Amino acid sequence: MFRFSLGKQGRQFHDGRYLTAEDVAATYQSLQELPDSPHSAEFANISKIEVRDENTLDFFLRDADSNFPSRLIVGILPAELIAKGHDFSREPVGSGSFKFVSWQRALKLQRVADKQDVVFEEIRDPTVRVLKLVRGETDILQGELPPELVSYLQKQPGLTVEQSQGSNFAYLGLNMQDPLLQKPEVRQALAYAIDRRAIIQHALVGGSRLAETILPPEHWAGNANLQPHEYDPAKARQLLTQAGIKLPLKLVYKSSTTVQWVRLATMMQAQMREAGVELEIRSLDWGTFFEDIKRGNFQLYGMMWVGIKTPEIYHLAFHSTSVPPKGANRGHYADRSTDDMIAVSDWQRVAARIHEQLPYLPLWYEGQFVAMRKELMGYTLRADGSWDGLEQVKRKRLKSVFPGRSSVEGS
Amino acid sequence: MIIKRLLAVLPVVFGVLLLTFLLVHLVPGDPVEVMLGESAPMADRAQLRAELGLDQPLLTQFAHYLQALSHGDLGRSIHSHQSITEMLLTRLPATVELALLALLIAISLGLPLGILAALKHQRWPDQAATLLSLTLAAMPSFWLGPLLMLLLAVWLGWLPVSGMNEPASIILPALTLGFGLAAILMRMTRASMLEILSEDFVRTARAKGISERQVVLRHALRAALLPLVTVLGLQLGSLLAGAVITETIFGWEGVGRLLVESIEKRDYPVTQACVLVIALVYVLVNLATDLLYARLDPRVRFAS
Repeated sequence: MFRFSLGKQGRQFHDGRYLTAEDVAATYQSLQELPDSPHSAEFANISKIEVRDENTLDFFLRDADSNFPSRLIVGILPAELIAKGHDFSREPVGSGSFKFVSWQRALKLQRVADKQDVVFEEIRDPTVRVLKLVRGETDILQGELPPELVSYLQKQPGLTVEQSQGSNFAYLGLNMQDPLLQKPEVRQALAYAIDRRAIIQHALVGGSRLAETILPPEHWAGNANLQPHEYDPAKARQLLTQAGIKLPLKLVYKSSTTVQWVRLATMMQAQMREAGVELEIRSLDWGTFFEDIKRGNFQLYGMMWVGIKTPEIYHLAFHSTSVPPKGANRGHYADRSTDDMIAVSDWQRVAARIHEQLPYLPLWYEGQFVAMRKELMGYTLRADGSWDGLEQVKRKRLKSVFPGRSSVEGS
Repeated sequence: MIIKRLLAVLPVVFGVLLLTFLLVHLVPGDPVEVMLGESAPMADRAQLRAELGLDQPLLTQFAHYLQALSHGDLGRSIHSHQSITEMLLTRLPATVELALLALLIAISLGLPLGILAALKHQRWPDQAATLLSLTLAAMPSFWLGPLLMLLLAVWLGWLPVSGMNEPASIILPALTLGFGLAAILMRMTRASMLEILSEDFVRTARAKGISERQVVLRHALRAALLPLVTVLGLQLGSLLAGAVITETIFGWEGVGRLLVESIEKRDYPVTQACVLVIALVYVLVNLATDLLYARLDPRVRFAS
């Protein structure tokens, strides 16, 4: 059982109601009960929620879970509106720093503290995103840009570009049911066949760094002792020959159509050729790609874990019972040792075991960057690429280049 | 006669409906998983699938779809639960505006240059016009669009880069679409005019002493315009069907962009409705073109 006492701050809903323990209970109960809640599985462990008074409530769990508090990151909704079946997807009401204004062509929020409007505009083409920022049609641009566009932005006089280390983990997933990839030597050979340092240097934004496992070394459950597989095509060839593979080894790599991922796949294809691996790249639209991955219809695929905060990710991605649709063990990795270590939450050893077994080929933690108009100040870049920095951003009191514009726009 | 032609449209539309329905349901991807996430319990998925009618056999789903359609009901979006008719009515005007302006640009540029090229056959204006038309035809919209943005929006600062926030926002996407079409029109006008200018009736007109201006504008151009009507009809059909790439690049909230978004979200009813509207627009614009052709050229009669 976990008992929570609500603090004094953040107790006002955007429609003026006072936030109480009843609202917290109703929110988490609705997540369990609603048939179309994507969170129902995540909170299935809650057996009962009891409200003690306006400020206190107890969560009873079916199974002990020491990380339970870290899961409670869902925004709280008013109990009264939940009971009425209010359509929160059209008229969201929350208690956070920003309140919903409208979502027609763009998403418009308002910062509660000072009524500053913030508009999020979806601009799919990276070049267009950059040009809009340069022209002053938007104020902030963060993430999802090829490095040459970041370099272009750095040369623009009216802009500030900041880069920092990130924690989003890029990897190649391997299908452990594939007869070729079941062989440990083949997986090791592939790890030695990718020159990650060269890719990081030439094709990624600044702040990107080598990764060995999902959680970065600075995370409390991270493992800083894992040694990287350095690029060594000769060693890769040797391992493949040892495994009885006739070269060239032909493999199919599936990727989404995202420009950057296709480009990275092309680089890896060229590097692997040196190691005797012929990589065929198939880039598919997101729906088809993701469906293929979940169905295990792949040999290799490239993806990224974004915003991972807790080590439970190892259970979701590598436990033998987490094969889709129950989890995200898309490569059907099944290893009793790993399962046992996960069961006792020995995350350091889990990371080491995964690194040794290589159901994923770890690539890098993608660096974060933000480019913004020089008129802005106070925005801080977060390692997971979130937009939390908008809580503090301010427009300097300069003579505005575009008078009359009061909104801070992001894309 | 028009009714006969309209009836002939029905099998085409039915074919489009059937093909679209099968294609969107057979490609990998599941809207329920897109909505619930991949780790949602099976029971929840099954429940939502049943609510959306996706657990029924394909044939039953298609029959329900046709039944609703016969009552003019395009259904609701799986994601936003919005009425699809409303969504289309919001998006269509944007696509129509863009298509008409692009057509206007194409005609204003393609027609005079095509005529000039034909009149100055194998001289420098002809070669320049040919070079221009080939260059424009060879530039894909995903390249030409950003190039125009850089030039007209960023460097010169005359126009907004993208979006629909200002009236001038339409100019860049319209230019991007219009230039490609102008290239085709220019080539067609030139070829058509060259052919007509060597006809006997043009020689006769000149022999009668009519001014060259009158010969070109009243006699030759009128005859040369006939094949252009067909090209224009086909191109307008394509433009009205939603310029998918251009609308996506420029953030133009038209039918083309709605189609792309619905495919990505596996929002089956919206994809089907978009394709249906696109097919209808295409077929009807071409029907209108045929009728106009018959009006312009008395030799063409549908009865025959």
